[in-house]
Amino acid sequence: MKPAERKNVLSHLKVREAMRRLTVHLPRDASLEKAARFTIKYKVNALLVTGQDLEPVGVVSKTDLMGAYYAEMPLEAPVESVMMAPPLFCRMEDSLESALESMRTGRVHRLFVLGDDSPEAVGVLANPDIVGLLYRYCHRCEKSIIRSRSAGPDKSFADRFKVAEVMTPSVQAHRRDESLTQVMEGLSAHRLGAVLITDEAGLPVGVLSKTDLIMAYKHGIPTTTRAEAVMHAPVTTCDQEDPLALAVHKMIFSDVYRLFVHRDNPQNIVGVLSLTDAARIRSGSCRACMSSRIQVESAS
Amino acid sequence: MSVTARDVMETRFRTLSPQTPITEAVKILEEASEERGQRVFGITVTDEKGLLVGMLSMYDILLLMRPKHIHIWGEMKDIDVDGFIDEACIRAQPILVGDIMTTDVITIAPDTHLMFILDLMIKKHIRRIPVLDTGKLVGIVYISTVFQHLMRRMNR
Repeated sequence: MKPAERKNVLSHLKVREAMRRLTVHLPRDASLEKAARFTIKYKVNALLVTGQDLEPVGVVSKTDLMGAYYAEMPLEAPVESVMMAPPLFCRMEDSLESALESMRTGRVHRLFVLGDDSPEAVGVLANPDIVGLLYRYCHRCEKSIIRSRSAGPDKSFADRFKVAEVMTPSVQAHRRDESLTQVMEGLSAHRLGAVLITDEAGLPVGVLSKTDLIMAYKHGIPTTTRAEAVMHAPVTTCDQEDPLALAVHKMIFSDVYRLFVHRDNPQNIVGVLSLTDAARIRSGSCRACMSSRIQVESAS
Repeated sequence: MSVTARDVMETRFRTLSPQTPITEAVKILEEASEERGQRVFGITVTDEKGLLVGMLSMYDILLLMRPKHIHIWGEMKDIDVDGFIDEACIRAQPILVGDIMTTDVITIAPDTHLMFILDLMIKKHIRRIPVLDTGKLVGIVYISTVFQHLMRRMNR
């Protein structure tokens, strides 16, 4: 007997509804310096690398650029020396569900979208794009439990959730006197986008992200430099008892992907809240859509 | 009479270094506008030897100011975003000109014909073109100057 088909909100949504138009790409002989500059300028986590006829040949991510920095590769080296190849693709008419499955099985954070009539990629689809679409879908849905729960006057539905319900309750930290090399090893081992930097007493003094490291690479800062020289401060935090809406507000203001979460006072960091965590709880959170909750890893 | 870049280029212009902070570059753009008596939206970037290494345009700075997550949060009407612009300005402070400048710059020679310049500006969607004489930056042709020149000729 044929097993019943499992349906959820994603079953009806296509890649083209969530994808973003591809605006930048690099030729395979472009320098690592250019790739680093593009990730800063366009605020993207990865860039598509193209061949002579603009056909996609690889992907260079912030993780790859951090690897090049760790290996002390010259900034003049071509991106093809660090890119991951081949890129993984989907089509505009594919369902989001199948695209997510491709991302899971391929262990990647994004798929490039191929056009119908040419070998060129026309768009990119990453987990946050799907999360964003689910949020919008859920916000409009008549069945949404979010709507019914937020029926009270002047009551934002996001206030219903506390940060503690949504955060990841563990933190990866490095001391401020550790070298950038040691921090990069920690980021790589735990597949993180940023770590907390602490003083000798273990108190938080800053955050060091892959973006900070790529800026350091581009500015010619040696990898033996202490973490505190490159980290950004102060640590953007929220209280674990804060309403989720307040935490989301902070993430928007700080243009960050994550907030460190404290208990009782800002020195006592107990967890991390990512944009994806926040968006996930706000999306597909009603019974009708429960099966559509997606497993999202933090972006590379 | 053949009109070339030499006839329409601006020979007094400001330049930036790749190490100039963006906050400083914005001030220099303001000063350049005052000196020219016309709004300047793009400026050349040169290295320590005076060689052209890039251009910084208004668009490059706008890209930097655009929030990373705007495509996700665009419909979040339930969230108060007052103060957002000030925060974006603060975040731009550690960024240097060399971090966001455009390095694929189209250049012309002093003897490039006006109509060829016009064609380049239309085809490539560019509003200013640096003029190089044997590798040395000697001027900038602005689209407004090209337009004004053509209008004067039309009304002659």
